Amino acid sequence: MWWHNPLVNKEFRQRMRTARAPMVIVFYLLCMAVLTFFLLYENVQGQFSLLLPARSEQVFLIVSLLQMVVAAYLTPAFAATAVSGERERRTLAVLLTTPMSPFGILAGKVLSSSALLALLLVVTLPLYSLVFLFGGAVPQETLAVFGFQLFTIVVIAALSVAWSTIALRSGWSTVLSYATVATMTLATGGAGYGLRYVATRFPVDEFLPRWGNWLLQLNPLWVEARLENAVTGPERSWLVFIGVYTILCAALLMVARWRLRPRGLALLNKVVGNDERMS
Amino acid sequence: MIRTENLCKRYGRQLVVNQLNLTVRPGTVFGIVGENGAGKTTTLSMLVTLTAPTSGRAFVNGFEVAQDPVAVRRSVGYMPDSFGVFDDIRCMEYLQFYADCYRVPRPVARQRARELLAWVGLEDKQDAYVNALSRGMQQRLELARCLMHDPAVLVLDEPSSGLDPRSRLEMRAILLKLKDAGKTVLLSSHILHELVEVADELGFMRSGELQAVASVDVLRNHTSAYRTLQVVGEAPEHVWRHALAADGRVVEFRLRPGGAQVQYGGTTGQQAELLQRLVTAGVAVQQFYEEAVDVEALFLRLTASHDTSVEAAP
Repeated sequence: MWWHNPLVNKEFRQRMRTARAPMVIVFYLLCMAVLTFFLLYENVQGQFSLLLPARSEQVFLIVSLLQMVVAAYLTPAFAATAVSGERERRTLAVLLTTPMSPFGILAGKVLSSSALLALLLVVTLPLYSLVFLFGGAVPQETLAVFGFQLFTIVVIAALSVAWSTIALRSGWSTVLSYATVATMTLATGGAGYGLRYVATRFPVDEFLPRWGNWLLQLNPLWVEARLENAVTGPERSWLVFIGVYTILCAALLMVARWRLRPRGLALLNKVVGNDERMS
Repeated sequence: MIRTENLCKRYGRQLVVNQLNLTVRPGTVFGIVGENGAGKTTTLSMLVTLTAPTSGRAFVNGFEVAQDPVAVRRSVGYMPDSFGVFDDIRCMEYLQFYADCYRVPRPVARQRARELLAWVGLEDKQDAYVNALSRGMQQRLELARCLMHDPAVLVLDEPSSGLDPRSRLEMRAILLKLKDAGKTVLLSSHILHELVEVADELGFMRSGELQAVASVDVLRNHTSAYRTLQVVGEAPEHVWRHALAADGRVVEFRLRPGGAQVQYGGTTGQQAELLQRLVTAGVAVQQFYEEAVDVEALFLRLTASHDTSVEAAP
């Protein structure tokens, strides 16, 4: 069965046994709850007669964007040492002598490291339901945001796992993973808005807003804000986001797969060796 | 069961394994011995598909390593020389995880895990965390892990390295049990004594080359044919030389103050004749005994250059 991945079971068990997992969940939920209640209180200013749906939308936007920031920067903490850590603990060699495929190993690592973050999203769903209560969002919007956040977590986990396989050492893989997240959230946002700003100063250059929008479509925070109609930009930006990052993840995971088990070299040797023998 | 044909491994300019031709017969234990850096671990890594050979071919259980690596992995249980264990996982779960990797059905895996834990003497550690076990226990657990998918071949890289004497003895007992169970085992060590006790055949590796292959029985005969005798006694040097040189079974000897060390090619019974010869020649013999067989010395003699400090008998 293709979904049979013993690594996922083992990792779930290991991760949830440590004190770290429940502590992270409880701390995160408390922080989000305090923030949501504070924003809602600010919204109604203690009087339900002052309820303003427009401000409730802002609450939804702030809470969901904050959730995205936390998830984006927390994911590498769980995924960036997934394979390099195994290598450093000297458990990888034995794993590679089992019939598990390299993609099976990588998929297991991606799924298990994104699972805790997915759990963080799930536990905050009751808070989102509170925002519903005050007219901040419609169910479709919430589902879209939730799905997009989930996808972003898996993307960042996949990129981090790929770096942890390619970079060999945990230090380097952590740096590369955080650099990737910073590029996704800060560099694309800064450059995208920068180009848009320049375009307002030099309106003759058409490529500037186009490139600006293109870069912004690679920014998970901007795309999420676009899903909530909080910013202006191209329709279906999320499709560009999904397309680009799916291709990037596939490319990096291919390199990681080769790094994990350099079959390409073996095949090359085999071709050369067999040719020599056959001749 | 294991066969290599001109197997080579090169890292950059360095040739780590050179034209290795090795055959391990089914149901036998083959020991590879060699100094650190001789190419033992690289050879084993190629056989378990961890490292791709630069050239040559290797077959394990009838499957070629480069052509059919998955079939090779299913056939082999591999224990690396230095290994780690997962944190926060119990012994039973650890074995279950590897059984899942090999798609062993759950009920079979559970039963087998219990049997193997008992087999390696860890039956009371089923629920213990793996990282809390001692090094010796982890080594034994690793052996149990190697056997979870009931492989035809076991490849063990320095299975006793880093163990205290007691754990070494326990490990040796387990290896002997494996031999009795009819498994084909290829193991490496730089400690020859360990291999002699469990292996059927030995291969000596140096600088990436398999320099000699010998059956342990032949090796034992070789060692018994060249016993080391220690003689403590008083006599002038020329008397010693005359008496020892007169015995045709003395291969070589070394004189030292108050005695001599003799490499003797005769049987235990013939040693009495040597003793009588020494006494008759005028050596006041105080002690005459045979040293334990020094397999290490034999290994050095087989592999190293000639030791010029040893004086040869005429």
